Amino acid sequence: MKIRNYTLLLVILGMFSVVPFIFAQDTADDAEEAQKVAAGKEVYEKSCAHCHGTEGRGDGSAAENLLPQPRDFTRGLYKIRSTESGQLPTDQDMFDIITEGMPGTSMPEWETALDAKERWQVVAYIKTFYEGFKESETPPKEISLKGKIPYSKESIEIGKELYTQFACYECHGDVGRGDGTSAPTLTDEWDYKSWPANLHQNWNYRGGNDIDDIYKRFVGGIAGSAMPMFEDPAFGLSIEEAKRYTQLDNKGEMTAAEEEEYTQLEDKMANAFEILDLINAGEGDEEQRKFYEESMKTFYEKSWHLANYVKSLSPEKRPEAAIGKNALRSQYVEGELPPMDDAAWDTLKESYFPLVGQIIVEPRQFNPTIDSVSVKSFYNDTEVAFLFIWDDRTHNTSEEENEDTGKTYEDAMAIQFPVKIPKGPTSPKPYFLWGGKLAVYLWQWQASAPQEITELTAKGINNATVQDVQTDIQTDSEYTNGQYRLWVKRPLETGDNKDLQLKPGVFVPIAFSVWDGANGDVETKRVISSWYSFVLEPVPSVKRFIYPPIVALLSLGLLIGLRGFVQRRNTE
Amino acid sequence: MKKPSLFTICFVIFILCWVFLRFFIGGVISKPIPNSVILMYMALVFIAILVHISVEDTRFREFLRPIHETLVDENRSTRRLVFAVLIPLLMCGFTYTNIAKKANPPGDPRTVHPTPPDNLMYKDIVLGTMDKAENPFRHYEKDNPEAYKSHIENGRTVYYQNCFYCHGDHLDGKGHFADALNPLPANFQDPGVLPNFSESFFFWRISKGGPGMPASGTPWNSAMPIWEDYLTQDEIWEVILFLSDYTGYKPRTFGEGH
Repeated sequence: MKIRNYTLLLVILGMFSVVPFIFAQDTADDAEEAQKVAAGKEVYEKSCAHCHGTEGRGDGSAAENLLPQPRDFTRGLYKIRSTESGQLPTDQDMFDIITEGMPGTSMPEWETALDAKERWQVVAYIKTFYEGFKESETPPKEISLKGKIPYSKESIEIGKELYTQFACYECHGDVGRGDGTSAPTLTDEWDYKSWPANLHQNWNYRGGNDIDDIYKRFVGGIAGSAMPMFEDPAFGLSIEEAKRYTQLDNKGEMTAAEEEEYTQLEDKMANAFEILDLINAGEGDEEQRKFYEESMKTFYEKSWHLANYVKSLSPEKRPEAAIGKNALRSQYVEGELPPMDDAAWDTLKESYFPLVGQIIVEPRQFNPTIDSVSVKSFYNDTEVAFLFIWDDRTHNTSEEENEDTGKTYEDAMAIQFPVKIPKGPTSPKPYFLWGGKLAVYLWQWQASAPQEITELTAKGINNATVQDVQTDIQTDSEYTNGQYRLWVKRPLETGDNKDLQLKPGVFVPIAFSVWDGANGDVETKRVISSWYSFVLEPVPSVKRFIYPPIVALLSLGLLIGLRGFVQRRNTE
Repeated sequence: MKKPSLFTICFVIFILCWVFLRFFIGGVISKPIPNSVILMYMALVFIAILVHISVEDTRFREFLRPIHETLVDENRSTRRLVFAVLIPLLMCGFTYTNIAKKANPPGDPRTVHPTPPDNLMYKDIVLGTMDKAENPFRHYEKDNPEAYKSHIENGRTVYYQNCFYCHGDHLDGKGHFADALNPLPANFQDPGVLPNFSESFFFWRISKGGPGMPASGTPWNSAMPIWEDYLTQDEIWEVILFLSDYTGYKPRTFGEGH
């Protein structure tokens, strides 16, 4: 008995003796965390502070000229999360953004510059800027990817309808080029201008362009931006019911039966929203909770369809720039060149010219809104026609002072060629920014005069003059759904020595300037490209049918001759 | 099995050498090798084979035997016919693809090291000859580390307010504006950049930019702005200090390495 008591005592004592170790473990964890934070501070101050600020307020020395602005870490608002709306990001989310960067912004990938350990240290340090990370006891709730709907034509179709139902077009525009009616007025949490994404350029999606990424942006929202926390406007209705509801809603006159159906659907929705409010307030009984969960499941389903639709809007990847084999090649046609709306243009592949802000001469453009211009071209024996296509979220035809959107200017475009084509690859080209010692020849187009091209000669970005003799250049243009199409036709040769003269087979330097008036682009403030090349692709010569048979015959003759030679030598 | 003829052996060796160069060296080991380089090596292989077979008269005869047979032997008429069709066809196809090939735009030959002028200038002020002009803050590295550090910090601010758009957050030439530029912005993380030039050289490239490139060695096509329009002399020297401090590479000093 006594011995057993001692045993018990020993066991209890033994148990207590572990306690200090548990605490020790805790303090060890704390010490480790503190060390991590200290190391993270060092990395942060070397690599991050110049944009995000030493205090994490997003106000570093470089921040002034950046849009989107560097993240302010003190508010705990993170755009790209795998967690549900209103939640903080997971550590992994923060690590991933640092690792991969944010496309379309000045946040680069850090995978090559910092090793994984350093990136985790930075995560630990950044979290100290916001108290909320310490206070939250439960880990943030992650968005489940269960029930993912495979990418298919049917799903894209459903997604397209939901795009209208969810009123995505209000910001992102009818076909998704970010040209919705409210686009010019949007700002973020910090009152900085915020443009809705152009869904046709998924290489600029900040949080990646996988279907999963897009889905997470819907379900979790993009905190701090104008992209709201998502709410299903037809909450409680199935996809078919919602479709029917929209159909009836758009109908002018309904039959009595339809009227009844419509009212029923409306009631169902009203009821669903009531339950939603109850659940959000932490109330609701068993049955209502069940209904809520069912409706949420439908909402997630809808979000997957929508994600599939958005995915379908962009090409697989960003097109390759028109360099080398991708150079712009004008195709020969016999007879009249096709006008702007002719289907013949669809047969040509676009050449893609990326554009960047002009930051060389004041006023400069540090935050461009125009990504690129795509070009196609045809020519015949006497003329050449070009089709220039670029996305611009707004159509601005004049200088305007607007209360909501600030000062805007006119949209414009200039196409630049050298006056004299460089003779060889080592001959100098004019300075790419509207020439210098060597002059450039320009086609200037403005949105206020959509059917007109003005010829300019320039010897510098601030040294352009309108040519006295204007060639008759035919012009046509249109602006639809956030996209400009500009069609230009000019004779190959003009007889004016200030103009560029064109011949098939000769590579000609070409460059662009584009102005987005809503982004404050005016004069030297604009987006530009450096020099690229274009050529009037020579008509394939008939030689390609004549020479090969001749060569074949010659080689056959050679073989026969060789045989004869060997035979003769054998008989000798 | 019959022993393969000398011709077959040589032929197989030739093909194997090509496959080795094209797919193993230029694929598994490194990036694809240019065709001109492969051609050079294959010419060597061809000469080696030629030397091997022509060393002895009998060996040469042995090598020629299958060709000889194909050309005249009565029993080889089918093989002869196949070659008589195949060779002209191949030549025909080869000529066609060569003629129908699309021309590519002229490449941009580029001199990597532009020749700087004799005198280092800031606007119209002569700062000294190219090999004598020095970074006025460099000496702090030894005699006043505190001051040195503060100049580096100034340089960091200059860099992130002006340069990082193109030259990048990591100083690797991959800024968010870089992809529209040709030539690409300089990569300061490349060990061949900073150590190869003097600080005065960098001062010249920064202050005069693309338009300040020499008349020889064109076309430069550099999009580098004329930074003396925006930055003071001190700021340019400071940003050079920052480049070298961040990357750990020191610009060359004259008298070294000659």
